[in-house]
Amino acid sequence: MRRWRSSLGLLPVLFWLSLFLVVPMLIVVVISFMGRDEMGNVVFTFQASSYATFFDSLYLGIYWDTIVLSVVTTVLCLLFSYPLAYYIANAGPRMQTWGLALITIPFWINFLIRTYAWVLLLRTQGVVNNLLIQFGWIHEPLQLLYTKGAVLLGMVYTFIPFMVLPIYVALEQMDKRLLEAADDLGATRWKSFWHITLPQTKSGIMTGSVLVYVSTSGMFVVTDILGGAKSAMISNIIQSQFLGARNWPFGAALSVIFVITSLVLIALFNRAMTSKHLAAKEGR
Amino acid sequence: MKKMKWAGIVLAAGLALSVLSGCGGSSKETLNIYSWADNFDADVLAAFEQEFDVRINYDVFANNEDLLAKIKAGGSGYDLIQPSDYMVATMIKQDLLAPLNKDNIPNFEYVSDSYKDPSYDPGNQYSIVYTSGVTGIAYNTKYVKAEIDSWEDLWNPEYEGKVLLLDDNREVIGMALKKAGNSNSSTDESEITSAVDDLKALLPSVLAFDTDNIKQKMIQEEGWIGTVWSGDASYIAKDNPDVAFVVPKEGGTIWSDNYAIPKGAKNQELAEKFINFMLDPENSAKNYESIGYSDPNTKAHEFHSEEYNNDKMINLSEDELSRTEWLGDVGDKLQLYDRFWTELKSGR
Repeated sequence: MRRWRSSLGLLPVLFWLSLFLVVPMLIVVVISFMGRDEMGNVVFTFQASSYATFFDSLYLGIYWDTIVLSVVTTVLCLLFSYPLAYYIANAGPRMQTWGLALITIPFWINFLIRTYAWVLLLRTQGVVNNLLIQFGWIHEPLQLLYTKGAVLLGMVYTFIPFMVLPIYVALEQMDKRLLEAADDLGATRWKSFWHITLPQTKSGIMTGSVLVYVSTSGMFVVTDILGGAKSAMISNIIQSQFLGARNWPFGAALSVIFVITSLVLIALFNRAMTSKHLAAKEGR
Repeated sequence: MKKMKWAGIVLAAGLALSVLSGCGGSSKETLNIYSWADNFDADVLAAFEQEFDVRINYDVFANNEDLLAKIKAGGSGYDLIQPSDYMVATMIKQDLLAPLNKDNIPNFEYVSDSYKDPSYDPGNQYSIVYTSGVTGIAYNTKYVKAEIDSWEDLWNPEYEGKVLLLDDNREVIGMALKKAGNSNSSTDESEITSAVDDLKALLPSVLAFDTDNIKQKMIQEEGWIGTVWSGDASYIAKDNPDVAFVVPKEGGTIWSDNYAIPKGAKNQELAEKFINFMLDPENSAKNYESIGYSDPNTKAHEFHSEEYNNDKMINLSEDELSRTEWLGDVGDKLQLYDRFWTELKSGR
């Protein structure tokens, strides 16, 4: 009886999720198998042609680019975030509060405004170019904006907090006594990091990586604003199918493929991470 | 945790209150407008509210496709919408617009003949032009020394990496079609293909595709030359006087935003009164002076400032206008345009 009551509390969440996640997703799947007429209205027929269209070097290529960019962003975020999280987690309580505040405060500012701030920094008459010219290091302004590098920079900048916070939490919850024991038994700091800290924070790395990967691959604003809309990602294509191209079935099919491949990639990633962990345990 | 809970309750209560107050409000009649952002002068809107003792509710959309999706879904409750030319044609085809009752809009007679009876709505049955412009070339004379008079000039290697293009499928492919002497709405596959091949050769020169912020990119001199709407060019030139504008000799695409009333609108008559009010020469002058777009009202020009009347980018010459073409519906070829556009935007 009591158990039944406590699970009653889950009902609003379940209702919310099924209404606003499962049902829309099902609608997307249904539309992806339909046709369209000349005006772009969805026509109720059953066909898989939208999926066939995807297997074209053009769309496959764009998807490949998206995956590569997302993976590179995730790896860079991890490389920058781990030391940062490690530093914050091991700092004194005052510094911890400050460090966490500095990570989260940018969230209070609208994401678009922060992205446009990069435009002000990177443009030809922007802060960076002006400083470089002032120092006499360059004579002509560099083209920093509207390049692939600017897109990567924008992505990493945007998603670093998504990586720092889970890793920080994992480091915080870690059993510090293990480190002391390792120290007592004469392990070097590097050794105890490799054998204790890193495996123990795997869950944080995994959570952060999945968050960053999924967010990056679904992002289309950064490519538009910092990339000059020159390197379309799969999400740009999906957006244009629903608006300009008025081809909802194809947009829906792309969305379904996008969701499925993301889930598969994440599952593979999780598997690789956990099996490595097991292997490490067995090796010991 | 407890704090979070309270914040949630306060938020929910606030939300509930705002919904309730939305239902309540005054008993005044409300004109629901759905249009582009900042498309009217606020004082002129307020004057209408006062004169007719009504309230105006003004919602905004970012592009025609959003507008179409909302109206098509039905039950939007809007009385007056502002679709662009090709969208008027699409909406007529889909039976989404109500015919206008011209008896309520006597000021329609002031609309310039060049904007009456447009190809997208013969006889102005469903729409009346609000403002219009032409896509031409804006260029910064500080960096672009040659005389610019053709779309061909964008392909000049001297401007490599400094060319801006509108982030718009039909505009850009239409431009390349015009450059080759074809219609901007060609449905001929070989014409479209060769236009796109031409654009692919231009890609390495392109700095960015942009519609919303192309003005800033020209003002800040990031781009030296690009496809720009005449009204935007006027805006740019005010901030950066080095920027000039030309309608190329091959001609350009002309566009318009219009007044239209969705089928089943609750306050059709009030919407028509609004159109008439906006077409009053004095109101018209005040409105367009403020928003800086072209005023199709022939009687309004005597009320406009000298600066406005002399702005060559707002008031295009007959000669320039004679070289323009509306974007027409390309039917199922839109899929081909979209595929090519995807190729251009992804560089593949």
